[in-house]
Amino acid sequence: MVDAERKQKLLMKINKLNAYTEIQNTMGRMIAALNFRQKEKVADFFALDQKDVSFEYADEGVFEGKDAVIAGIEYLLGSEVKPGEMIDLQLTTPVIEVADDCRTARALWWSPGAASVLRENEDPQAQWIWGDFAVDFIYEHDEWKIWHLHYFTLIHCDYHKGWVDDTSLINRPNTPMHDNAQPSTWHNPYHPKAIRYGIPAAPYPYETWKEEDRYWMLRNDKTR
Amino acid sequence: MITIEDIELLSEEEFIEAEKTVEKLIAVWEVKNLRGRAAVFHDDQHINQPRKELKAMDHPSFDAEAEIAFRMKPVVDSLEGNMLIHPLTTPVIEVDETCKKARGTWWSLGIEGLSKYRETPMAILSLGMVPGTHVKMKGEWRILSGNWQRTTKNEYHAGWINDMQVTNTRPPLTKEQDRNFLGKYAYMKDEIRKPVPRPPYKDTWEEYPEETDPSWQYKDL
Repeated sequence: MVDAERKQKLLMKINKLNAYTEIQNTMGRMIAALNFRQKEKVADFFALDQKDVSFEYADEGVFEGKDAVIAGIEYLLGSEVKPGEMIDLQLTTPVIEVADDCRTARALWWSPGAASVLRENEDPQAQWIWGDFAVDFIYEHDEWKIWHLHYFTLIHCDYHKGWVDDTSLINRPNTPMHDNAQPSTWHNPYHPKAIRYGIPAAPYPYETWKEEDRYWMLRNDKTR
Repeated sequence: MITIEDIELLSEEEFIEAEKTVEKLIAVWEVKNLRGRAAVFHDDQHINQPRKELKAMDHPSFDAEAEIAFRMKPVVDSLEGNMLIHPLTTPVIEVDETCKKARGTWWSLGIEGLSKYRETPMAILSLGMVPGTHVKMKGEWRILSGNWQRTTKNEYHAGWINDMQVTNTRPPLTKEQDRNFLGKYAYMKDEIRKPVPRPPYKDTWEEYPEETDPSWQYKDL
Protein backbone atom coordinates (compact mmCIF):
# COMPACT_ATOMS: atom_id res chain seq x y z
CA MET A 1 0.00 0.00 0.00
CA VAL A 2 1.43 3.35 -1.04
CA ASP A 3 0.94 5.94 1.69
CA ALA A 4 0.04 9.60 1.27
CA GLU A 5 3.51 10.85 2.16
CA ARG A 6 5.09 8.78 -0.60
CA LYS A 7 2.57 10.13 -3.08
CA GLN A 8 3.30 13.72 -2.04
CA LYS A 9 7.00 13.04 -2.40
CA LEU A 10 6.54 11.73 -5.93
CA LEU A 11 4.48 14.79 -6.84
CA MET A 12 7.17 17.09 -5.50
CA LYS A 13 9.84 15.29 -7.51
CA ILE A 14 7.77 15.50 -10.71
CA ASN A 15 7.24 19.20 -10.14
CA LYS A 16 10.96 19.66 -9.54
CA LEU A 17 11.81 17.82 -12.75
CA ASN A 18 9.41 20.01 -14.70
CA ALA A 19 10.99 23.06 -13.13
CA TYR A 20 14.47 21.76 -14.01
CA THR A 21 13.58 21.52 -17.68
CA GLU A 22 11.64 24.78 -17.81
CA ILE A 23 14.40 26.74 -16.08
CA GLN A 24 16.99 25.50 -18.58
CA ASN A 25 14.70 26.37 -21.47
CA THR A 26 13.99 29.83 -20.04
CA MET A 27 17.67 30.53 -19.58
CA GLY A 28 18.49 29.12 -23.04
CA ARG A 29 15.87 31.37 -24.63
CA MET A 30 17.15 34.39 -22.73
CA ILE A 31 20.71 33.70 -23.89
CA ALA A 32 19.53 33.32 -27.49
CA ALA A 33 17.73 36.68 -27.21
CA LEU A 34 20.85 38.24 -25.70
CA ASN A 35 23.06 36.83 -28.46
CA PHE A 36 20.62 38.12 -31.09
CA ARG A 37 20.53 41.50 -29.31
CA GLN A 38 16.77 41.39 -28.73
CA LYS A 39 16.72 43.63 -25.67
CA GLU A 40 12.92 43.66 -25.16
CA LYS A 41 12.85 39.87 -25.21
CA VAL A 42 15.71 39.70 -22.71
CA ALA A 43 13.80 41.97 -20.32
CA ASP A 44 10.66 39.84 -20.68
CA PHE A 45 12.44 36.87 -19.07
CA PHE A 46 12.95 38.83 -15.85
CA ALA A 47 10.50 38.81 -12.93
CA LEU A 48 9.86 42.52 -13.34
CA ASP A 49 6.98 42.42 -10.83
CA GLN A 50 9.41 41.54 -8.06
CA LYS A 51 10.54 44.65 -6.22
CA ASP A 52 14.11 43.35 -5.88
CA VAL A 53 14.49 41.91 -9.38
CA SER A 54 18.11 42.45 -10.30
CA PHE A 55 20.77 42.13 -12.94
CA GLU A 56 24.49 42.40 -12.24
CA TYR A 57 26.99 42.41 -15.08
CA ALA A 58 30.72 42.05 -14.36
CA ASP A 59 31.96 45.37 -12.93
CA GLU A 60 29.17 47.44 -14.48
CA GLY A 61 27.34 47.21 -11.15
CA VAL A 62 24.01 45.93 -9.90
CA PHE A 63 20.80 47.07 -11.55
CA GLU A 64 18.00 46.47 -9.03
CA GLY A 65 14.27 47.07 -9.49
CA LYS A 66 12.21 47.02 -12.68
CA ASP A 67 13.33 50.38 -14.03
CA ALA A 68 17.00 49.73 -13.28
CA VAL A 69 16.94 46.27 -14.88
CA ILE A 70 15.38 47.66 -18.05
CA ALA A 71 17.88 50.55 -18.02
CA GLY A 72 20.77 48.13 -17.53
CA ILE A 73 19.69 45.94 -20.41
CA GLU A 74 19.27 49.02 -22.58
CA TYR A 75 22.74 50.19 -21.54
CA LEU A 76 24.38 46.89 -22.49
CA LEU A 77 22.32 45.81 -25.49
CA GLY A 78 20.58 48.98 -26.63
CA SER A 79 22.97 50.35 -29.23
CA GLU A 80 22.14 49.90 -32.89
CA VAL A 81 23.32 46.53 -34.21
CA LYS A 82 25.74 46.90 -37.09
CA PRO A 83 27.08 44.49 -39.72
CA GLY A 84 30.00 42.44 -38.45
CA GLU A 85 28.96 42.50 -34.79
CA MET A 86 28.50 39.25 -32.94
CA ILE A 87 28.14 38.04 -29.39
CA ASP A 88 27.80 34.30 -28.80
CA LEU A 89 27.51 33.16 -25.18
CA GLN A 90 26.79 29.50 -24.46
CA LEU A 91 25.52 27.68 -21.38
CA THR A 92 27.40 24.66 -20.03
CA THR A 93 28.11 22.86 -16.74
CA PRO A 94 24.66 23.40 -15.19
CA VAL A 95 24.24 23.09 -11.44
CA ILE A 96 20.57 23.67 -10.67
CA GLU A 97 18.73 23.38 -7.36
CA VAL A 98 14.97 23.77 -7.19
CA ALA A 99 13.59 24.50 -3.71
CA ASP A 100 11.45 21.75 -2.21
CA ASP A 101 8.46 24.12 -2.30
CA CYS A 102 9.05 24.64 -6.06
CA ARG A 103 8.62 28.41 -5.66
CA THR A 104 12.25 29.38 -6.36
CA ALA A 105 15.40 27.88 -7.85
CA ARG A 106 19.11 28.62 -7.93
CA ALA A 107 21.35 27.86 -10.88
CA LEU A 108 24.90 28.18 -12.08
CA TRP A 109 26.19 27.86 -15.63
CA TRP A 110 29.69 28.24 -17.01
CA SER A 111 29.59 30.18 -20.23
CA PRO A 112 32.25 29.98 -22.91
CA GLY A 113 31.69 32.66 -25.51
CA ALA A 114 33.04 34.61 -28.44
CA ALA A 115 32.40 37.99 -29.95
CA SER A 116 33.20 40.25 -32.89
CA VAL A 117 33.52 43.88 -31.93
CA LEU A 118 33.64 46.67 -34.50
CA ARG A 119 36.70 48.88 -34.86
CA GLU A 120 37.32 51.98 -36.95
CA ASN A 121 39.02 51.45 -40.32
CA GLU A 122 39.86 47.79 -39.75
CA ASP A 123 38.18 44.44 -39.44
CA PRO A 124 36.15 43.66 -36.33
CA GLN A 125 38.13 42.41 -33.36
CA ALA A 126 37.63 38.73 -32.54
CA GLN A 127 37.31 38.33 -28.77
CA TRP A 128 36.90 35.58 -26.24
CA ILE A 129 34.19 36.33 -23.68
CA TRP A 130 33.97 33.59 -21.07
CA GLY A 131 32.09 33.91 -17.83
CA ASP A 132 29.57 32.40 -15.44
CA PHE A 133 25.89 32.96 -14.80
CA ALA A 134 24.58 32.61 -11.24
CA VAL A 135 20.82 33.04 -11.27
CA ASP A 136 17.85 32.95 -8.91
CA PHE A 137 14.55 32.03 -10.50
CA ILE A 138 11.08 32.59 -9.13
CA TYR A 139 7.83 30.95 -10.20
CA GLU A 140 5.18 33.56 -10.85
CA HIS A 141 2.12 33.72 -13.08
CA ASP A 142 2.61 30.04 -14.00
CA GLU A 143 6.13 30.43 -15.33
CA TRP A 144 9.73 30.55 -14.20
CA LYS A 145 11.26 34.00 -14.33
CA ILE A 146 14.76 35.33 -13.76
CA TRP A 147 14.72 37.02 -10.36
CA HIS A 148 18.38 37.85 -9.72
CA LEU A 149 20.99 37.37 -12.43
CA HIS A 150 24.70 37.85 -11.88
CA TYR A 151 27.11 37.51 -14.80
CA PHE A 152 30.74 37.04 -13.74
CA THR A 153 33.50 37.73 -16.27
CA LEU A 154 36.15 35.01 -16.44
CA ILE A 155 38.18 36.08 -19.47
CA HIS A 156 37.62 38.88 -21.96
CA CYS A 157 40.45 39.25 -24.42
CA ASP A 158 41.57 39.59 -27.98
CA TYR A 159 41.27 36.16 -29.61
CA HIS A 160 44.75 36.30 -31.13
CA LYS A 161 46.52 37.48 -27.97
CA GLY A 162 44.75 35.21 -25.46
CA TRP A 163 43.84 35.65 -21.79
CA VAL A 164 47.35 35.93 -20.40
CA ASP A 165 48.73 38.50 -22.86
CA ASP A 166 45.62 40.65 -23.11
CA THR A 167 43.96 41.83 -19.92
CA SER A 168 42.89 45.17 -21.34
CA LEU A 169 39.22 44.23 -21.53
CA ILE A 170 38.55 42.59 -18.16
CA ASN A 171 37.54 45.83 -16.45
CA ARG A 172 35.06 48.43 -17.62
CA PRO A 173 36.55 51.66 -18.97
CA ASN A 174 37.14 54.33 -16.35
CA THR A 175 34.06 56.30 -17.31
CA PRO A 176 31.14 57.27 -15.03
CA MET A 177 29.00 54.39 -13.85
CA HIS A 178 25.42 54.17 -15.08
CA ASP A 179 23.12 56.26 -12.89
CA ASN A 180 21.04 53.21 -11.99
CA ALA A 181 23.97 51.00 -11.06
CA GLN A 182 24.88 50.13 -7.50
CA PRO A 183 28.38 48.86 -6.63
CA SER A 184 29.33 45.41 -7.91
CA THR A 185 29.28 42.57 -5.38
CA TRP A 186 32.20 40.64 -6.92
CA HIS A 187 34.54 41.03 -9.88
CA ASN A 188 37.60 38.79 -10.06
CA PRO A 189 38.21 37.81 -13.67
CA TYR A 190 41.24 35.77 -14.63
CA HIS A 191 44.39 37.88 -14.56
CA PRO A 192 48.00 36.66 -14.52
CA LYS A 193 48.46 38.34 -11.12
CA ALA A 194 45.14 37.30 -9.56
CA ILE A 195 44.09 34.25 -7.54
CA ARG A 196 40.85 32.41 -8.26
CA TYR A 197 38.45 31.43 -5.48
CA GLY A 198 35.89 29.12 -7.07
CA ILE A 199 33.37 31.95 -7.18
CA PRO A 200 30.61 31.86 -8.25
CA ALA A 201 30.00 28.90 -5.99
CA ALA A 202 27.55 26.15 -6.92
CA PRO A 203 24.10 26.27 -5.28
CA TYR A 204 23.25 23.64 -2.68
CA PRO A 205 19.92 21.86 -2.09
CA TYR A 206 17.40 23.92 -0.11
CA GLU A 207 13.81 23.73 1.10
CA THR A 208 12.57 27.27 0.69
CA TRP A 209 13.90 30.74 -0.08
CA LYS A 210 15.59 32.56 2.78
CA GLU A 211 16.86 36.08 2.36
CA GLU A 212 19.95 35.24 4.40
CA ASP A 213 21.08 32.95 1.56
CA ARG A 214 20.56 35.62 -1.10
CA TYR A 215 24.25 35.70 -2.02
CA TRP A 216 24.88 31.94 -2.16
CA MET A 217 26.99 32.42 -5.29
CA LEU A 218 29.54 34.56 -3.44
CA ARG A 219 30.20 32.27 -0.51
CA ASN A 220 33.77 31.10 -0.10
CA ASP A 221 32.71 28.40 2.34
CA LYS A 222 32.71 25.28 0.17
CA THR A 223 31.49 22.92 2.87
CA ARG A 224 27.78 22.89 1.93
CA MET B 1 0.61 20.08 -14.54
CA ILE B 2 0.32 16.81 -12.66
CA THR B 3 -1.72 16.98 -9.45
CA ILE B 4 -2.06 14.72 -6.44
CA GLU B 5 -5.41 13.64 -7.87
CA ASP B 6 -3.63 12.31 -10.96
CA ILE B 7 -1.28 10.34 -8.73
CA GLU B 8 -4.20 8.97 -6.69
CA LEU B 9 -5.56 7.43 -9.90
CA LEU B 10 -2.46 5.25 -10.38
CA SER B 11 -2.57 1.60 -9.43
CA GLU B 12 0.14 0.46 -7.03
CA GLU B 13 2.04 -1.10 -9.92
CA GLU B 14 1.79 2.07 -12.00
CA PHE B 15 2.84 4.18 -9.02
CA ILE B 16 5.96 2.09 -8.45
CA GLU B 17 6.86 2.30 -12.13
CA ALA B 18 6.34 6.08 -12.13
CA GLU B 19 8.39 6.42 -8.97
CA LYS B 20 11.28 4.50 -10.52
CA THR B 21 11.23 6.60 -13.68
CA VAL B 22 11.24 9.79 -11.66
CA GLU B 23 14.07 8.51 -9.45
CA LYS B 24 16.19 7.84 -12.53
CA LEU B 25 15.57 11.29 -13.98
CA ILE B 26 16.40 12.92 -10.65
CA ALA B 27 19.57 10.82 -10.49
CA VAL B 28 20.71 12.10 -13.90
CA TRP B 29 20.11 15.67 -12.72
CA GLU B 30 21.95 15.12 -9.43
CA VAL B 31 24.93 13.54 -11.16
CA LYS B 32 25.15 16.55 -13.48
CA ASN B 33 25.07 18.81 -10.41
CA LEU B 34 27.76 16.71 -8.77
CA ARG B 35 30.09 17.01 -11.73
CA GLY B 36 29.37 20.74 -12.00
CA ARG B 37 30.37 21.18 -8.34
CA ALA B 38 33.51 19.13 -8.98
CA ALA B 39 34.39 21.45 -11.89
CA VAL B 40 34.11 24.49 -9.58
CA PHE B 41 36.36 22.81 -7.00
CA HIS B 42 38.83 21.84 -9.72
CA ASP B 43 39.30 25.50 -10.66
CA ASP B 44 39.53 26.55 -7.00
CA GLN B 45 42.89 25.00 -6.22
CA HIS B 46 43.26 25.99 -2.55
CA ILE B 47 44.70 22.76 -1.18
CA ASN B 48 43.37 21.32 2.07
CA GLN B 49 40.63 23.95 2.35
CA PRO B 50 37.52 22.42 3.96
CA ARG B 51 34.95 21.63 1.32
CA LYS B 52 32.00 19.38 0.75
CA GLU B 53 33.14 15.86 -0.01
CA LEU B 54 32.23 14.88 -3.57
CA LYS B 55 34.07 11.58 -3.78
CA ALA B 56 32.97 8.15 -2.56
CA MET B 57 35.59 8.03 0.18
CA ASP B 58 33.68 5.33 2.11
CA HIS B 59 33.30 2.95 -0.82
CA PRO B 60 35.32 -0.25 -0.26
CA SER B 61 37.15 0.16 -3.57
CA PHE B 62 38.11 3.80 -3.00
CA ASP B 63 41.68 4.58 -1.93
CA ALA B 64 40.86 7.43 0.46
CA GLU B 65 44.40 7.62 1.80
CA ALA B 66 45.86 8.20 -1.65
CA GLU B 67 43.14 10.75 -2.39
CA ILE B 68 43.93 12.75 0.74
CA ALA B 69 47.68 12.61 0.03
CA PHE B 70 47.03 13.83 -3.53
CA ARG B 71 44.94 16.75 -2.27
CA MET B 72 47.65 17.91 0.15
CA LYS B 73 50.36 18.14 -2.48
CA PRO B 74 50.93 21.50 -4.18
CA VAL B 75 51.96 21.45 -7.84
CA VAL B 76 52.55 25.22 -8.13
CA ASP B 77 54.29 27.66 -5.77
CA SER B 78 51.45 30.15 -5.76
CA LEU B 79 47.91 30.18 -7.09
CA GLU B 80 48.56 33.57 -8.68
CA GLY B 81 47.83 33.32 -12.40
CA ASN B 82 46.57 29.76 -12.21
CA MET B 83 43.21 28.72 -13.64
CA LEU B 84 41.59 25.42 -14.62
CA ILE B 85 38.29 25.93 -16.41
CA HIS B 86 36.87 22.84 -18.05
CA PRO B 87 33.21 23.42 -18.93
CA LEU B 88 31.14 20.24 -19.16
CA THR B 89 29.14 19.60 -22.30
CA THR B 90 27.61 16.66 -24.21
CA PRO B 91 26.52 14.64 -21.15
CA VAL B 92 25.58 10.97 -21.55
CA ILE B 93 24.44 9.43 -18.26
CA GLU B 94 23.03 5.97 -17.55
CA VAL B 95 21.61 5.06 -14.15
CA ASP B 96 21.18 1.45 -13.04
CA GLU B 97 17.85 -0.12 -12.05
CA THR B 98 18.47 0.40 -8.33
CA CYS B 99 19.23 4.10 -8.86
CA LYS B 100 22.39 3.65 -6.83
CA LYS B 101 24.97 3.64 -9.61
CA ALA B 102 25.46 5.89 -12.63
CA ARG B 103 27.98 6.04 -15.44
CA GLY B 104 28.56 9.16 -17.47
CA THR B 105 30.74 10.85 -20.00
CA TRP B 106 31.16 14.55 -20.73
CA TRP B 107 33.21 16.43 -23.33
CA SER B 108 34.97 19.67 -22.64
CA LEU B 109 36.71 22.61 -24.30
CA GLY B 110 38.79 24.11 -21.53
CA ILE B 111 41.10 27.01 -20.84
CA GLU B 112 43.89 27.19 -18.33
CA GLY B 113 46.51 29.51 -16.92
CA LEU B 114 49.63 27.86 -15.55
CA SER B 115 52.32 29.58 -13.49
CA LYS B 116 54.53 27.09 -11.64
CA TYR B 117 56.97 29.47 -9.97
CA ARG B 118 55.21 32.87 -10.21
CA GLU B 119 56.55 33.31 -13.74
CA THR B 120 54.24 34.84 -16.36
CA PRO B 121 51.55 32.19 -16.79
CA MET B 122 51.18 30.08 -19.88
CA ALA B 123 47.77 30.27 -21.55
CA ILE B 124 46.66 26.73 -22.35
CA LEU B 125 43.79 25.47 -24.47
CA SER B 126 42.74 21.94 -23.63
CA LEU B 127 40.15 19.61 -25.10
CA GLY B 128 39.21 16.48 -23.24
CA MET B 129 36.60 14.19 -21.76
CA VAL B 130 35.39 13.24 -18.31
CA PRO B 131 34.32 9.60 -18.05
CA GLY B 132 33.12 8.54 -14.63
CA THR B 133 31.24 6.19 -12.34
CA HIS B 134 29.10 7.57 -9.54
CA VAL B 135 27.45 5.89 -6.58
CA LYS B 136 24.71 6.98 -4.21
CA MET B 137 25.88 6.68 -0.62
CA LYS B 138 23.96 7.89 2.44
CA GLY B 139 21.45 9.59 0.15
CA GLU B 140 24.01 11.56 -1.89
CA TRP B 141 25.69 10.96 -5.21
CA ARG B 142 29.46 10.72 -5.04
CA ILE B 143 32.22 10.30 -7.62
CA LEU B 144 33.64 6.79 -7.39
CA SER B 145 36.03 6.98 -10.31
CA GLY B 146 36.82 8.89 -13.45
CA ASN B 147 39.65 11.23 -14.31
CA TRP B 148 40.09 13.92 -16.87
CA GLN B 149 41.05 12.29 -20.16
CA ARG B 150 43.06 14.70 -22.25
CA THR B 151 42.65 15.12 -25.99
CA THR B 152 44.79 18.24 -26.42
CA LYS B 153 46.69 20.54 -24.08
CA ASN B 154 48.58 23.17 -25.98
CA GLU B 155 50.12 26.52 -25.35
CA TYR B 156 47.42 28.76 -26.75
CA HIS B 157 49.39 30.26 -29.64
CA ALA B 158 51.23 27.05 -30.55
CA GLY B 159 48.03 25.16 -31.41
CA TRP B 160 47.17 21.52 -30.85
CA ILE B 161 48.86 20.08 -33.93
CA ASN B 162 52.36 20.90 -32.82
CA ASP B 163 52.22 21.28 -29.07
CA MET B 164 51.29 18.96 -26.20
CA GLN B 165 51.92 20.17 -22.67
CA VAL B 166 52.33 17.50 -20.02
CA THR B 167 50.20 17.46 -16.88
CA ASN B 168 51.86 19.62 -14.25
CA THR B 169 53.06 17.43 -11.37
CA ARG B 170 55.89 17.47 -8.85
CA PRO B 171 58.24 15.88 -9.73
CA PRO B 172 57.49 16.60 -13.40
CA LEU B 173 56.41 13.78 -15.67
CA THR B 174 58.42 12.71 -18.67
CA LYS B 175 56.56 12.75 -21.99
CA GLU B 176 56.29 8.98 -21.80
CA GLN B 177 54.93 8.98 -18.24
CA ASP B 178 52.46 11.68 -19.20
CA ARG B 179 51.32 9.71 -22.21
CA ASN B 180 50.58 6.76 -19.94
CA PHE B 181 48.75 8.95 -17.43
CA LEU B 182 46.06 11.46 -18.48
CA GLY B 183 47.40 11.63 -22.03
CA LYS B 184 46.94 8.00 -22.92
CA TYR B 185 44.33 8.71 -25.61
CA ALA B 186 45.47 12.21 -26.46
CA TYR B 187 45.63 13.58 -29.98
CA MET B 188 48.77 12.75 -31.98
CA LYS B 189 49.15 14.04 -35.50
CA ASP B 190 50.59 10.76 -36.77
CA GLU B 191 48.04 8.44 -35.08
CA ILE B 192 44.44 7.43 -35.69
CA ARG B 193 42.30 8.51 -32.80
CA LYS B 194 41.06 5.76 -30.48
CA PRO B 195 37.35 5.71 -29.54
CA VAL B 196 37.78 6.07 -25.78
CA PRO B 197 35.76 6.61 -23.72
CA ARG B 198 32.74 5.00 -25.30
CA PRO B 199 29.71 6.77 -23.81
CA PRO B 200 27.59 4.47 -21.63
CA TYR B 201 24.79 2.84 -23.62
CA LYS B 202 21.40 1.81 -22.26
CA ASP B 203 22.61 -1.71 -21.49
CA THR B 204 25.78 -0.62 -19.74
CA TRP B 205 24.67 -1.93 -16.31
CA GLU B 206 23.58 -5.28 -17.71
CA GLU B 207 26.81 -5.68 -19.62
CA TYR B 208 29.11 -4.37 -16.89
CA PRO B 209 27.22 -4.78 -13.60
CA GLU B 210 30.13 -3.97 -11.27
CA GLU B 211 30.59 -0.28 -10.49
CA THR B 212 34.32 -0.86 -10.11
CA ASP B 213 34.66 -2.22 -13.64
CA PRO B 214 36.08 0.51 -15.93
CA SER B 215 36.04 -1.62 -19.09
CA TRP B 216 32.76 -0.11 -20.39
CA GLN B 217 34.84 2.85 -21.57
CA TYR B 218 37.06 0.68 -23.76
CA LYS B 219 34.51 -1.49 -25.52
CA ASP B 220 35.12 0.07 -28.94
CA LEU B 221 38.86 -0.49 -28.89
